[in-house]
Amino acid sequence: MKTRNYAVLAIFLAVVLVILSGSSALAKKPIIIGCPLSTAYLYGWGAERGIKLAVEEINATGGVDVGGEKRLFKVEVIDTRDLEPGVPVSDALMAVKKLILSKKADFIMGGPVRSEAALAAMPLLSKHKKISIVTTGVLTPKYHAMVKKNYDKFKYCFRIHGEAVQLVGEIMANFTELKQKHGLNKVFIIAQDVSHARGGAGFIGKVAAQKGWEVIGTEIYPTGTTDFSMGLLKAKRAGAEIINIWMDMPESAILLKQWYNMKIPALPFGSTLAAAEQPGFWKATHGKGEYTLCNVVNAGNAPSNATPWTMKFYNAYTKRWGVEPEGLGSSSSYMAPYVLKEAIERAGSIDPDKVIIELEKTDIMGVYGRLRFNPKSHQVIPGKTPEEGAVGTILQWQDGKRVVVYPKSIATGSIKLPPWMKK
Amino acid sequence: MDILIYGTINSVVLALYALGFALVYGISRLPNFAHGALYVLSGFITWSLLNILGLPYLPAIILTMIITAVIGALIYQFVLIRIRGMEISEIIASYAIGLAIIESLRYFGFRGMTYTLPAFVEGSIDIGDIPVDYHRLIIVGIGLVVVLLLWLFTHYTKIGLALRGMAQDERAALMLGIDSDMMAIVAMAFGSMLAALAAILLLPLGNIVVESGYNVLILAIAVCIVGGLGSWVGSIFAAFLIGFAQILTAVYLGSHYQMVVALLAIIITLIVKPSGLFGQQKELEERV
Repeated sequence: MKTRNYAVLAIFLAVVLVILSGSSALAKKPIIIGCPLSTAYLYGWGAERGIKLAVEEINATGGVDVGGEKRLFKVEVIDTRDLEPGVPVSDALMAVKKLILSKKADFIMGGPVRSEAALAAMPLLSKHKKISIVTTGVLTPKYHAMVKKNYDKFKYCFRIHGEAVQLVGEIMANFTELKQKHGLNKVFIIAQDVSHARGGAGFIGKVAAQKGWEVIGTEIYPTGTTDFSMGLLKAKRAGAEIINIWMDMPESAILLKQWYNMKIPALPFGSTLAAAEQPGFWKATHGKGEYTLCNVVNAGNAPSNATPWTMKFYNAYTKRWGVEPEGLGSSSSYMAPYVLKEAIERAGSIDPDKVIIELEKTDIMGVYGRLRFNPKSHQVIPGKTPEEGAVGTILQWQDGKRVVVYPKSIATGSIKLPPWMKK
Repeated sequence: MDILIYGTINSVVLALYALGFALVYGISRLPNFAHGALYVLSGFITWSLLNILGLPYLPAIILTMIITAVIGALIYQFVLIRIRGMEISEIIASYAIGLAIIESLRYFGFRGMTYTLPAFVEGSIDIGDIPVDYHRLIIVGIGLVVVLLLWLFTHYTKIGLALRGMAQDERAALMLGIDSDMMAIVAMAFGSMLAALAAILLLPLGNIVVESGYNVLILAIAVCIVGGLGSWVGSIFAAFLIGFAQILTAVYLGSHYQMVVALLAIIITLIVKPSGLFGQQKELEERV
């Protein structure tokens, strides 16, 4: 009888031990990822979904190995509202502060989304020694330039997606092709009155002029504009053949509908063009968005076979959220937790100084190619092929589908012109 | 030619934004700061009736206008009636209701760029060498018809005359047996219905986004201040003034100054003629 009791006790203890060892990651304090995101906007909720999907996958495999102990990631999101008209930078800074002080975030990831807010948050991150990986929206080259210029102060800031200069290079490559194939030579620029768009528009104007393009006008619209007729008529009168668009506001859909209705004989080529990035764009414009091109910054935000992980991510995102990856920050936001996980595991700690060193050593083949950070500027290194670096993606709406037309290494189609502008 | 065409369209758009706000203030002296929110809400109601309930377009439009009118009446009956005459409280309460509507829509997932209403008629026509889509022409036509109907309604119907009586002198109207609260409810319902009509006409041009509620409110207020608070004829005049000024600014100065026009118009009006172009609040003049 006594022997039997001992046996039962031993089994009970063994079961308890198994349960406890299995849930050791649960018992440890989670690593908190604070996400300051403008959640009511595409670039915000796309990033939130990307980060949460990656965190769920990582946690399902046991979490992060921090110096021999498994810890889970925990995501805390605060709405920064920084994509709203008026760009409330102070709201975004308050959100970052709250994540650090109140939510006790160990790392900041995602935003702030608007360049102005992200730049303003940099000193705050330095003050609190919080590593931040920007994953969406922030396209200004000034972000990584500031890290490079004052490394010791801003070394906590990383950006894992492409930026405006890279975007301009990609767009110019397509302009060159359009010139060679179709003889196009006149470009009209339409931009939203926000930092990255104004900067990008000015930069592409200069580069295009240097490369022999006739830049026939630039029109800047305030956030929230609902009528673009005058700008489009200016473009038409000046004989524009390409309308280069820098806009992330929802009203960009109005611009494209007006372009279609007015049959403006110029190809709408978005650098950032939030409305056209979403899979629902076709239905929302009742097909009037056909031929629109837009740069979704990195592969994975539109279907392609850039790397073996690209469609795996694409399908996982679609299954989890019931919609395909939508905006420019989806794939980069998904990759950020994986990159952070690897850096923490190599560092064996979440100490920011140790993790920074390991983040600088990042070299993994991700959803949009080989991911490495420039160790001096903390900007992800771009590439024209996935083997070379983080590849971009330019898509065109063709017959209701988002067709990748650039870079050639991952393209699934080529650019088409609307019938009313064929020469 | 393009200035004339798009100036007219822009002016009618501004007039549609402002008519409901002007009507409510003109009759009941109630600054309905939930006007922009009602505009957005009616857009989403129409979208829901079309896409969730699968109603045809016309019944969905009529139902939306009725629902929005009822919402407007309820806002007055359950909230604003208690603070009637306390202007600051009216502004705060109606703005709070507007915020609650907009933030609730955002909370319940009405966000993004994919909520749209179909245009009444697809396609465009060239007037001279200026392409204009049919829907914008329909907006101008309906906008002008609405103004005409409003004029006829307020001049030749019993309720319309009662509303005008209220607008001119509420105490005298009370002595003549006009129920001032009932008329204020009717005004609020009509104003909300006009916000819905504006939304139904204008939202097919683009998409339904919650933030546009704030923009609509600012433009409606700008038009009403310039035209003269309480004068809907003045509001129509001001809509054309600001509408053309915006288009001229876009053509000769640049589109990014367009938003400044409305705000500048408010400042100039308040400095030069505080009661507005057709304002009836002479005490404002006396203060200056």
